[in-house]
This record gives sequence, C-alpha cells and structure tokens, in this order.
Amino acid sequence: MDEVAEQQAEQNNQPPYWTSVGIAGLIFGIIVFALSLVTSYAMINSEPTGSLFSPVQLLGVFVCLVGAFGGMLAIWHYANEYDISIKLGKGALIGLFTGICIALVTVVFNQIWQFIDPDMTQKLIDSTIANFEASELPDDTKQQMIDSTVQSMRDQNSIGTQLLYNLPMYGILNVLTGMIGAKVFGKKEG
Amino acid sequence: MQIRQPILYASILLLVFVVVLVAMGGGLFNQSTPWPVQWQHQSFNSLCHQIADRSFWISGQPMAVCSRCIGIYSGFALGWVLLPMLSLMKITRVAYIKKIVVFVLLFNLIDAAGNFFGLWQNTLVSRTVLGGMLGSSTALIFIGDFFQHN
Repeated sequence: MDEVAEQQAEQNNQPPYWTSVGIAGLIFGIIVFALSLVTSYAMINSEPTGSLFSPVQLLGVFVCLVGAFGGMLAIWHYANEYDISIKLGKGALIGLFTGICIALVTVVFNQIWQFIDPDMTQKLIDSTIANFEASELPDDTKQQMIDSTVQSMRDQNSIGTQLLYNLPMYGILNVLTGMIGAKVFGKKEG
Repeated sequence: MQIRQPILYASILLLVFVVVLVAMGGGLFNQSTPWPVQWQHQSFNSLCHQIADRSFWISGQPMAVCSRCIGIYSGFALGWVLLPMLSLMKITRVAYIKKIVVFVLLFNLIDAAGNFFGLWQNTLVSRTVLGGMLGSSTALIFIGDFFQHN
C-alpha cells in the first residue's frame, strides 16, 4: 500500500508535460498542414492525366507517417527538459494528447486557409473532376465517382468531419510513438 | 510468466488491430461507396500517400494505405502479439534492438530514395517486407516491459 502511495506521489511530483505536448503538436500540425497544402496546390496546378493521383504525390513516399511522430518529439522534449524517467503509460498518454493537438492544429490552419484562399476547395474539386473526366472509366462509374468525391470534398471543409477523420488515427499512432519515445528517450531508472 | 501492465498491453493490442483493419480499406468489408471517399481512406488521408498503384487491392479496391505502411502496421501488430513468446529469448540488451530498428529504418529510406531516383524498381512485396521488418523490430523494443519469465 505504501509502495503504491509512494508511486502515486512520485507521479504527482513530476513536472507537467503540456508544454512538450503543445510544442510537438504545433510543429507536427504545421508540417502535416503544409504537406497537405503542397499536395493540394500541386494537384490544382497539374494537367489532368486521368490518374487519381498526381506524380507529385510520389514525393509522399518520403513523408508517409510523418504525422505519427509527434508523440516521439513530445517525449524527447519532455525528457530533455526535465531529465526524468518516463513510464510507458505516461508516454502513451503524452502521445495521445500530442496526436489530439496535431489534429486540432491542422483543423485550425485549414480553417484559416479558407479565408486566405477561399477558392482552393473549388479549384481542387474542378481539378479532380477534370482528372476523372480524363480517365478511362466507364461513364456511369465515372459520374458516380465524381458525385461522391465532390460531395466528400465539400464535407471535408467542416470542422466536425475533419476532426472525425483525423482525431482517432493521429491519437492512436501518436500513442504508439509516445511509448516508443518513452522507451528510447526516457532516462533509465536506478 | 509474470505480466506487467496488462491493461496497457491489451489496449495497444486492440488499437493496433483496429489500425490494421482500417488500413486494409473498404474492400475488406465489400463497401459499395467509391474507395477514394471511404472513411478508411479519409482516416489515413494525411498519414499516407495512398497511391493506388502502390497499394494492395482487396475485392477490387485498394487498401487505405500503401504497401509499405500496411507492412509497418501489420509487422508491429505481429511483433506485439509475439511479445510474450519473444520475451522467452531473454534479450536484455534493448540497445541492440534499437540499432536494428535504426538500420531497418535507413534501409527503408534508401529503398524509397533509390526507387524515387530510378536507381532500382521496388515492388509491392519488397516494400511490404521492408515495412514489416520495421514494424516488427519496433515492437521488439518492448521486450521485457510486459512479460517476464522466471
């Protein structure tokens, strides 16, 4: 019982991790937002090829999963700042909060960008339609794809939809990287 | 065998399987909506390039992530499931595993770069295998954290 109380007290005495969560969330939120912006404008400015993906997206092979590493950065910052050991559970928790933060930052920047370039979504939709039109799909399939994709792109402008899609995956993946971070960067006890 | 932090282990096991199922895309469930707008694709939209040509297909629909990413997720899931058995190996020097992870990560980057610059052509299978090696070796970092054999 005393041991449990001691551990509880030790946990309570640990410094807050919100600064680390905020910094990592902001940095990775901006990176994810910037990458999505680059991809969007590359698609808008490319000639319709009939392919659903532009060659520029091949660059994405280097940035796969980049948004999942916020948890690791948060742990690295937290461990460096306070030079303390971090338990796996705490690493997971910090990762979860960082994932949520990344999703929120991305949504906020997306909303801000709507004011900076209000026509971006429409240009993206036009580009997507042009791409579908150039594809060799059967006409009825083509029309069905166009309708549902356009509807989906319009829906994605809403804050609720963006959070619904982004929060769970960023949360889960950053939980994992948070734990990995705790294992890699946390000071060993004893 | 002594189990430590069973709730954390089970929670991660569950979450990882959810991620793998979602990553496999709508084809797994024979969804009728066009795949670019399926919720699985939307969920991984900003986490993976999702290029259909570089993804496995199920029931005429590409997975929600590329072949390398599905390798990473499923490799991690496999490694996580095998943790109790792998703990028998009594590997105490986690530093070795960390070096292996870094090596496999570099190997993946070199593979992606070589393919991008046209030095060689990797395949769906080669990308999945390399991703799987990365995922499973990452899971092995946690050897000894959840299971201990007396």
